[in-house]
Amino acid sequence: MFLYYIRLSLLSYKRNPVLSSLMVLAIAIGVGAYMVIFTLNYVMGGDPIPHKSSQLYHVQFDYGDPAFTDFEPPPQLTYIDATALLQATVEHPRSASSKFVAVLEPPGEELRPFYVNGRGNAADFFPMFDIPFQYGGGWDRRADDTQQLVVVLSNELNERLFGGANSVGQTIVMDGLNFTVSGVLDRWSPAPKYFDVNNGAFDPMEEAYIPWSLIVGQEMRRSGNTNCWKAFEGNSFQAFLNAECAWIQFWVELNTADEHAEYLNFINNYAAEQKQLGRMPMQIEKRLYDVNEWMILNEVQPDETRILTALAAMLLAVCLLNTVGLLLSKFLGKSSEIGVRLALGAHKRSLFTQHVIEAGVIGALGGILGLGVAALGLEGIRILLGDMMTNDWMQLDLRVTFITILLAIVSTILAGMYPIWRACNINPASHLKTQ
Amino acid sequence: MLKMNQINKVFRTEVVETHALRNFSLHVQEGEFVTITGPSGCGKTTFLNLAGLLETFTSGQYVLDGEDVSRLGDYQRAKVRNEKIGFIFQSFNLMPDLNLFDNVDVPLRYRGMRAAERKLRIEKALDSVGLLSRKNHLPSQLSGGQQQRVAIARALVGEPRFLLADEPTGNLDSNTASGVMELLHEINAAGTTIIMVTHDPSLATQSHRNVHILDGQVQSDNTNHVKAA
Repeated sequence: MFLYYIRLSLLSYKRNPVLSSLMVLAIAIGVGAYMVIFTLNYVMGGDPIPHKSSQLYHVQFDYGDPAFTDFEPPPQLTYIDATALLQATVEHPRSASSKFVAVLEPPGEELRPFYVNGRGNAADFFPMFDIPFQYGGGWDRRADDTQQLVVVLSNELNERLFGGANSVGQTIVMDGLNFTVSGVLDRWSPAPKYFDVNNGAFDPMEEAYIPWSLIVGQEMRRSGNTNCWKAFEGNSFQAFLNAECAWIQFWVELNTADEHAEYLNFINNYAAEQKQLGRMPMQIEKRLYDVNEWMILNEVQPDETRILTALAAMLLAVCLLNTVGLLLSKFLGKSSEIGVRLALGAHKRSLFTQHVIEAGVIGALGGILGLGVAALGLEGIRILLGDMMTNDWMQLDLRVTFITILLAIVSTILAGMYPIWRACNINPASHLKTQ
Repeated sequence: MLKMNQINKVFRTEVVETHALRNFSLHVQEGEFVTITGPSGCGKTTFLNLAGLLETFTSGQYVLDGEDVSRLGDYQRAKVRNEKIGFIFQSFNLMPDLNLFDNVDVPLRYRGMRAAERKLRIEKALDSVGLLSRKNHLPSQLSGGQQQRVAIARALVGEPRFLLADEPTGNLDSNTASGVMELLHEINAAGTTIIMVTHDPSLATQSHRNVHILDGQVQSDNTNHVKAA
């Protein structure tokens, strides 16, 4: 009977193409708009590394100046603390990282020098965050310690410099230094960019990755946020490194509750020790945050998205209310047919099922068209935000596609309940004479 | 076959009560061809709707094919309609976007019959009304008489015990109407009980019995001396 009902639904669509198309359009607009906002929320609020998010922890310390009551402890670490943690954390995967910018001199004469956005990070950065490689790999801790001039290229930069070929072992020149390519990343763009939410949670990925020790050792040009709460003592780079300025993200991987407890104890002791030395005058309640806690603390998902969600839900409700009216008109227009079917032995339950399926078919068509509306909406957002976001993130993946169709079907069936109930409860006798 | 005893049907609105049938009693034997006549508003159609279990009555008893159907629930009433009763309407009531095959298929769909058996029955029913060759046509491609034949095929396909016909020739010209009447007589001769509402006195004389209704009551119940064809 299911296929029979599907066939009847399509015939019914053909019988009233304008009315049916209006319903499909209303559902498509409502569901499409809702799915645009859903995708935004999905991107901004989703767990970017679900299999590991509870094992990766960011460290925060009690930074700030008590004289400024509204001063929030900055989320990054100072060079002094990041270096201390790097040296003390030997048994767990860990990484300090920060952004830099450099002038890259491409091999050959076809390309002119250009700026690249890069990241300095420790060797453990790549395995900790499960970063995929197309060619080669990262480096080891010894390269960190000895400040080796190695680089990992993004897939896009490798495409630009070497036409996508395996460039491992090749040399590139950044800020006049010869770096040897140790690896090329595969396409990788987690959303949000959880390992550095302080410098734009939806910013594009960096193009080149070098040992973090080089940022200091070669005095690379740092980029990204820097928060200072005490004046420098001197103007040198070393003075900056010694200053109370936070500019480094520090992550550690802790795989068990015991490891977590032990490490927390360690950083609590470290903080206490620093307080005794006259540093870290503030008092924070928590010093270790897993990925999801860290994103909540840093308000990666802005309040505006919740308002947008409410607005989109209201638009969907208006479209569905419109659909209720159109379905009522459509189904009551079928009263004669329903009367005949009842006379010929159809039970109300059969007719109810038939019309639920008809509403479902309209919903499914609305959902398919809604995918187009959602794709257009997302394209609009991409154009609007331009380079502020990585293009890969705002896409209708399989999950969003499935949810769109399901939402359209379920919401249309729900909207159809009253019209279906009315249509199936007609008095057949009063409609058989009037056809 | 059909026994209605002291049936009352009252339509109520907020301001008025209308007695469509008053103490209405009628017995129809198996194999009979009964015509129901009477002026407009006398209760003919109400009787037909009650007989076909399309409406419930206010009081009285109705026994159909030996079963008291007075207190059946919705589901059971639908089952009785589907298996024991065939309907023929004045305006044919075919579904315009279904072809003849699918129109005749409708009652069988609700019986949960297998496709192969449905096909056999549909083709037999369409053949019996001379329209098998046009099974893929839409109703709009047929004349009024042909459409009524399809409606008869649809009524017969489930092999019901009796047919209820509500002015089946009302929308047809006299030649076509006589063809439809011939077909109904053939069906009746094959053993199907027929109750037909009509305004046409000449058709009323062609049945075994003519029941005349006035003001919701049986005014006369005459056996016709002319044998049904």
